[in-house]
Amino acid sequence: MFLALKELKKEKLRSGLMIAMIVLISYLIFILTSLALGLARENTAAINQWGAQRIALNSTANTDLRQSFLTQQQVGKLSQKEALIGETSVVAKASGHKQLSATFIGLKSHQFIAQNLKLAGGRPVRHAYEVVADDSLKRAGYHLNSQLKLNDTAQKFTIVGFTKNAKLNISPIIYGQLTTWQSLRNMVNGPVGSAIVSKDSHYKTTQKGVKVYSKQQVINKLPGYTAQNMTFMLMIGFLMVISLIIIAVFLYILTMQKLPNYAVLRVQGIPSKVLVGATISQSVLLVLSGLAIGALLTAITAIIMPAAVPMAFDLTILGAVGVGLLIMALLGGLIPVRSVLNVDPISVIGG
Amino acid sequence: MNAFEMKHVNQTFGTGSAEVQVLHDVNFSAQPGTLSLIMGPSGSGKSTFLTIAGGLLTPTSGTVTVNGTDYHDRSKKERDALRLDEIGFILQTYHLLPYLTVADQLKLVTKVKPTGNLEPEALKQVLATLGIQDLLHKYPGELSGGQQQRVAIARALYPDPAIILADEPTAALDGERVKVVAQLLKTLAVQHQKAVVVVTHDARLVEAADQLYHMQDGVLTKAS
Ligand SMILES: Nc1ncnc2c1ncn2[C@@H]1O[C@H](COP(=O)(O)OP(=O)(O)OP(=O)(O)O)[C@@H](O)[C@H]1O
Ligand SMILES: [Mg+2]
Repeated sequence: MFLALKELKKEKLRSGLMIAMIVLISYLIFILTSLALGLARENTAAINQWGAQRIALNSTANTDLRQSFLTQQQVGKLSQKEALIGETSVVAKASGHKQLSATFIGLKSHQFIAQNLKLAGGRPVRHAYEVVADDSLKRAGYHLNSQLKLNDTAQKFTIVGFTKNAKLNISPIIYGQLTTWQSLRNMVNGPVGSAIVSKDSHYKTTQKGVKVYSKQQVINKLPGYTAQNMTFMLMIGFLMVISLIIIAVFLYILTMQKLPNYAVLRVQGIPSKVLVGATISQSVLLVLSGLAIGALLTAITAIIMPAAVPMAFDLTILGAVGVGLLIMALLGGLIPVRSVLNVDPISVIGG
Repeated sequence: MNAFEMKHVNQTFGTGSAEVQVLHDVNFSAQPGTLSLIMGPSGSGKSTFLTIAGGLLTPTSGTVTVNGTDYHDRSKKERDALRLDEIGFILQTYHLLPYLTVADQLKLVTKVKPTGNLEPEALKQVLATLGIQDLLHKYPGELSGGQQQRVAIARALYPDPAIILADEPTAALDGERVKVVAQLLKTLAVQHQKAVVVVTHDARLVEAADQLYHMQDGVLTKAS
């Protein structure tokens, strides 16, 4: 530690550059992670909020909520733990507002999803032509008692309440009645819903043409969800490997330059342990300071980032990413350790 | 008692037809309070001799004892410790750590070897003798070559070793400087009761020597 600290102090520019690089890498990784997490949450917030464990869809729907329709017979009798939902994408329109793509979810008011819906203002839906909207609609200029049209319905809908975290597949949810869903879909006498959501992880059904999936199976089939996550994982993984290589290369070069000095110390009887300790603590110090500044920048970003940007800052996940980077750096720091251990003191005797 | 002793040391490098014998039956001893000078032309085996003397290389055959203990009986770690405690190396190229101030170069020793180093008073004395007492907060890069060498000497003396091994300590110095260093090495031997062994091909050091040896093709002979 003594040697490492002294060196950082003397070689300010060199250490500064190295730290700056780690700051940039860690900042990038932190931001990407937050973005990935934010997007994932906007995909799944609603499903998670419902407390869904199992979701029953039409077995020919390819696990896709949008493609699933269930008839009254397929739905059968539901227990307290199940709720029938109808899902369709809509465009909300109102004079003076931009058009807004949203997801309409029709609910039955006595079932658990409607019952458990937490409102951030207003009241629950009581009539057709009333809706409860995700509070991101507030940002789009809507407020309680605003009126809007869904698709090309003649009838106007009134926003009677707002709720938080009502996001499915990155679009805001507008909750209404299941009958409204039927009319939006023009299916008055056909299917009665899209899916059965159950909070019972053992939920089963014997109805023909209905298949029960786990929450995660349905989430993974949300359009773009898996591709998006894979992309982020890949980017983060690559950045981790790149940071490993960069840190390893830099530490290697730094250490190589010091080998003659280290050889002299070995001649003088300074144990290899001390030199290895200096090398490792140097990489730990560099990476920790880099990570700390990177985390600080991320925190600042989290504060100034507008709410519309889908970013979620989760300390546990960012902490894990930080630890991952630290491990990478330690691995990178181990490479020059080999050359430190192999330093030949005899090489500096002679001339 | 001899501070340092070599008996029947042979050193060969390589095997088969590439085998070269660099040291031939070398016998050598050094007593505290004396300056031994080993002179020899380039390639005669002087550095090899020092490497073996410092326990950095185990000779092909023969024994090396420092303060009565054989290197053979020591682990690598113990030999490191022995070098730290008992042997002060002064190298031809002084290679001070560039990012440590003079004071920190000495502090590094304390970190590794907390006890048995020179007392502050004695250290002050050494620094004053070397004329570097005002350079303690300078980095090696801010010192002249001669100053750096004197720092390296102070660094070698600080752990209070019984033996000083010096490899060509005057190779890069001019006549005036050579006299100063020769005087210093002599002082070390006499005043501090060290066994000082200097390996060189610099004839200007002969005057200061108590014992003079010649090394020729790996054969060490004592001059009268
Ligand atoms: N590791 C080694 N392998 C093979 N030969 C070696 C090795 N080390 C030294 N030698 C040979 O041993 C001989 C003595 O080398 P040494 O370095 O001891 O000479 P020296 O007296 O210090 O010379 P100089 O004054 O040039 O420093 C040389 O011929 C050298 O080539
Ligand atoms: Mg030599």
